[in-house]
Amino acid sequence: MTSLTRPAAWLPLAAAGLAVAALAGLPFLTLAPNRLVPGAPVGCGLPGAAAGALAAGAAVLLAGQARSWRARAALAAALIAWCVLLVGLGHGAAGLLAGQKPAARAVLGSGAWLALLAMAGLAGEAARAILPRRGGLAATLLLLGLTVLIAWAGLLDSLSLAVEYRARADAVAAAVMQHLGLSGASLLLALALSVPLALLRLRDGPAARLVDGLVSGIQVVPALALFAALVAGLSGLLALVPALRSLGLAAIGPVPAVIGTAAYLALPLVSGLAAGLAAADPDVLAAARAIGLTPREVLLRVRLPLGAPVLMGALRVAAVQSVGLATLGGLVGAGGLGALVFEGMAQFAQDLILLGALPVIGLALAVDAGLALLAGTGEQPA
Amino acid sequence: MNRALVPLLVAVCLAVLSLPDVAGFVVRALGLQAGTPVPAGRLAWLARQHLALAIVGFLLAGGAGLGLGILATRAAGARLKPTLDTLAAAAQAVPPLVVVALALPVIGFGAPPILLALAAYGLMPVMRGTVGALATVPEEVRRAARGMGLTPAQTLVRVELPLAAGPILEALRVVLVLAVATAAIGALAGAQTLGTPIIVGLQNQNNLALVQGAAAAAALAFLADAAWLAAMAGLGRLLRG
Repeated sequence: MTSLTRPAAWLPLAAAGLAVAALAGLPFLTLAPNRLVPGAPVGCGLPGAAAGALAAGAAVLLAGQARSWRARAALAAALIAWCVLLVGLGHGAAGLLAGQKPAARAVLGSGAWLALLAMAGLAGEAARAILPRRGGLAATLLLLGLTVLIAWAGLLDSLSLAVEYRARADAVAAAVMQHLGLSGASLLLALALSVPLALLRLRDGPAARLVDGLVSGIQVVPALALFAALVAGLSGLLALVPALRSLGLAAIGPVPAVIGTAAYLALPLVSGLAAGLAAADPDVLAAARAIGLTPREVLLRVRLPLGAPVLMGALRVAAVQSVGLATLGGLVGAGGLGALVFEGMAQFAQDLILLGALPVIGLALAVDAGLALLAGTGEQPA
Repeated sequence: MNRALVPLLVAVCLAVLSLPDVAGFVVRALGLQAGTPVPAGRLAWLARQHLALAIVGFLLAGGAGLGLGILATRAAGARLKPTLDTLAAAAQAVPPLVVVALALPVIGFGAPPILLALAAYGLMPVMRGTVGALATVPEEVRRAARGMGLTPAQTLVRVELPLAAGPILEALRVVLVLAVATAAIGALAGAQTLGTPIIVGLQNQNNLALVQGAAAAAALAFLADAAWLAAMAGLGRLLRG
């Protein structure tokens, strides 16, 4: 296996090359007269050069022989490069804004974004060279922690994204909570629907085929179309039976968003639940029946524990999907982070779009990593 | 052909529902205000635009996913696999809608944002499918091919890919349907797709346009599914002689 570690040595070099090229050739920051107008590009200056040099150093360390001190040094260099870049961006933004009108914004340029991505990739590669299994997660947490520290120290305050956040901090916090509520409610509804369907699918027959066809058929329907159809269908239902309004049912708002999202989660959940419950060896099941367990006990005490890893995997897929799909709820008036994204798109305001989109990505990755950790500890043999 | 029949029937029913008169009847029967209908000709034009976008996105995702999947299973690319997995998982964690939103200020209105989103979202299913399918080819078969004097490239094209074709084609089908379904989102960035009447309908409370767009978009996705299944069934029959 050691011979296999060499061929991808160009990967860190490519990441460092991307960082240097982005810093040298693309705008580092742009200075715009207000939050809606595209700005004039500004180069990266000394901090960019330092960060680029550090990235190149990290890549060279990783490209050499696989030694643990090299990987540790590379990780340190990538993390320092990340910090230098962030502080340079914050400082540069403050310098650009000095003497400008209050509406002026210093926006992160494409070069800065690409360089940050490349640095994160380098840090990930270095961390994976130290810890093969949890390296990516460790690097993410380190980068996130450093960023939070730098932001907390007020060093990023002049960046346009931070200005936009300060103007909307309450709205963003409320949207995150709404978003979590939407995806959590969808996941619960989907689970409640999927458990009986999965049990139905365990027995072969026409019912199993019908369930299969139904849940995979929903996947084919475009999400936008399903949400729209739910709005139309629910308003029709409410026009026919106005009494339902008193139960809190509404055609616009969280109801269509939760139902729509839950419908898409049915496929991963039903097939995962069915596969998990079917994972037990037929001999084990026969033995369980032979020692006198009732079907209910077989299900709860044999099938469920043996299928747990598959079940957790399905839950993880569904939870990540629920975070992404709930974004579409913004379009049917359900609020959440999608509402911020759509408001930003309507205004063509990049910072507002980012304020909605970055938390969606962060939540999806956090849910994924969290459930992976949970599944990992559950899998370990006693 | 049997597997294609159900999606084809669903597609035909939904296509009929998207016609202005039928949709108008249904919307009024639901007791909703109808609004201005989308003419059938305009709907057909939008469907063609929608399909063109989806197919380009599918080709981008399918080509890149297949290429990266093959690369990750070669000896030279084995070390790349964890990195590719991480990248593909990250691409999957970003919903297409968010890619469109993020791309909008950078690359502008129209087709490019949705093509980027389709390519990013379809990449992982194809790559995972390809890697998984190629892994099912037994090592003895590979060794036998090498023993017969085939070069690595010949082994790939003549032995490994034909043996792994089933799951790879299934992954491609999933991504084609995903692309046709997801292309509707492009309407949010100003691309002309069947999502356009849906967005217009939501914004103007025009239930008729909304139902027409939703039915037509769903019909197109089921049609793509049926077409792929029928083509694969035909291909299978042709190969078996």
